[in-house]
Amino acid sequence: MTVTDMSQGKRFFASENVYLPHIAIIEKVIDETPGVKTFHFNFKDEKLRKEFSFKSGQFAEYSVLGVGEAPFCISSSPSRSDHLEFATQQVGKVTNALHRLGVGAEIGFRGPYGNGFPLDFLQGKNLVFVGGGIGLAPLRSLIWNAIDNRDKYENIDIIYGARSPDDLCFKYDLDTWDKDKTINIISTIDREDKSWSGRVGFVPKVLEEVAPSASNAVAIVCGPPVMIRFTFPVLIKLGFTPEQMITTLEKKMTCGIGKCGRCNIGNLYVCRDGPVFTYAQIKNFVSSEY
Amino acid sequence: MSTSKKISKKDIGKILSQWSQEFTVLVPSKEGNVSKMARWDGKDTRFMDSHRNTVHPVKANFFPPMEEMFSFQKNKEGYHIEPAPPDEHKLLIFAIRPCDANALAILDMAFKDGYEDPYYLSRRKDTVLIGLGCTNPYDSCFCTSMGGSPSDSTNVDIMLTDIGNEFLIEEISEAGKELVAKTEDLQEAKKADEAKAKKVKETSYDKVTRKIDTRDIDKKLLACFENKDYWEKVSAKCISCGICTFLCPTCYCFDINDDSFKKRGARFRSWDSCAFPVYTRMPMENPRGEKWRRVRQKVCHKFEFFPMNFGSIACVGCGRCIRLCPVNWDITQTIESVPEIT
Repeated sequence: MTVTDMSQGKRFFASENVYLPHIAIIEKVIDETPGVKTFHFNFKDEKLRKEFSFKSGQFAEYSVLGVGEAPFCISSSPSRSDHLEFATQQVGKVTNALHRLGVGAEIGFRGPYGNGFPLDFLQGKNLVFVGGGIGLAPLRSLIWNAIDNRDKYENIDIIYGARSPDDLCFKYDLDTWDKDKTINIISTIDREDKSWSGRVGFVPKVLEEVAPSASNAVAIVCGPPVMIRFTFPVLIKLGFTPEQMITTLEKKMTCGIGKCGRCNIGNLYVCRDGPVFTYAQIKNFVSSEY
Repeated sequence: MSTSKKISKKDIGKILSQWSQEFTVLVPSKEGNVSKMARWDGKDTRFMDSHRNTVHPVKANFFPPMEEMFSFQKNKEGYHIEPAPPDEHKLLIFAIRPCDANALAILDMAFKDGYEDPYYLSRRKDTVLIGLGCTNPYDSCFCTSMGGSPSDSTNVDIMLTDIGNEFLIEEISEAGKELVAKTEDLQEAKKADEAKAKKVKETSYDKVTRKIDTRDIDKKLLACFENKDYWEKVSAKCISCGICTFLCPTCYCFDINDDSFKKRGARFRSWDSCAFPVYTRMPMENPRGEKWRRVRQKVCHKFEFFPMNFGSIACVGCGRCIRLCPVNWDITQTIESVPEIT
């Protein structure tokens, strides 16, 4: 099974021209951490609001017109479709401009792009989510999707970490999942902190300690590149095969449709062939380019 | 069988004038020291005298160095987006070299694949390419190693061969046949003209002396992907200026940027280059911050990744990246020195 076999999601063109954005309106802004915000938004066009669909793991190009465009995953779940969400850290030109926007502001949106998570492949399996920092955003879409279709999946384990308690994103979700008896969630922070009574340690180390079984399981990994790099060897040690390891990658995806050239890993474009890959697909290139 | 036709060189002006009725005719032109395909002025036909190949690749006529994608303005109701008007000129390119025509076929694949690129494809639609075989290739040319030749007519509509005072015409595509049929002032070619053209082609082929061996090059590149020593060695003198990619007829990387003033603005796209460290730089990390990784990307994209995706090497052997490189970086030396698989 290769993730790229997944058929592309339905396309929603503003016109024949794939580069023209739709206008969307911000409906809510949530401060996740000191540098991360979640934006709830909806399309200005009523018809598109009804017709729009996407898959967990897909991303879009968001723009502040006049400033520029940047790619972020859709962090909400298609199973909860009254609005859409994305989360972003304030790190560059576009994200700075986005962070200055409030409720009612208009943004540009093109997408959804990319393949999304292979739901058919995941059904009936034990899901092991391994996330770090804002890397929980794409996983969160799939986690909610799985919770809303709970009978289609076996065990759900979530191992999520951040630098400090303040850097944990989606705390409201973490609390809800913590209370959900059908999910096993472990949160960790990198260094000791007075306000934290939970587990301490880097995500790959905690994963090794928790040691989820590889039997009928798929690990879904997203976080900072350094976390992803150190997580793969741990999973291999735990008995996961390259086909049982899925990650969703982040690159500078300017066009979003496999043309502008900068997001490739070998012959694969993260925007077009990903952003979701099995480790089997990228292992020839991942050690040195990611 | 109808006999072939030829164009007398003194009639070029007349014939281009006829074609100008239907097409926007582009010919090899000089702007300062830089030659490019540009709109024919309707008079001068001396452009042929010094035409070996243009410095600017033909891609610039379909995928310009910078173009507006759309404009926008903001009023009380919010943002209004206005796409850039499509370019509806029907282009005829006269005296395009075979390598550059082959390069357009490669760009076509990239811009058609998956989501179609409306800007490139609307300009490219209904273009007529009049190829002109090379009789005086550069030392840096290596088309014969890349599946082409100085007289390759695969991707043109009409092929011309210089036989002295005339150009012999070969009608390649349906569009080419139609155009020849309705063009006046052509002459009937004689048997001797055809024999002469054959001889010209053979002589020209032998003038391309630079050769590379691309057998198994994709496999060899895959095997040496992690060979940092090799990539550091071949990239040592590169100064990351990007000129090889800007002037490459098959490079198509681009960037997208906005500009605005008060409540109006526009989104533009412009050529970009894998030679630049900022090309892949993200706020937290840069996967190709080191020069050897960027040179590796350039070489592997053309000779390994593009073939994996499209079944064709993304290099036509035009030699621009060799003759125009300020530090004499040479793609053919790099390809020839890729380590054998052990």
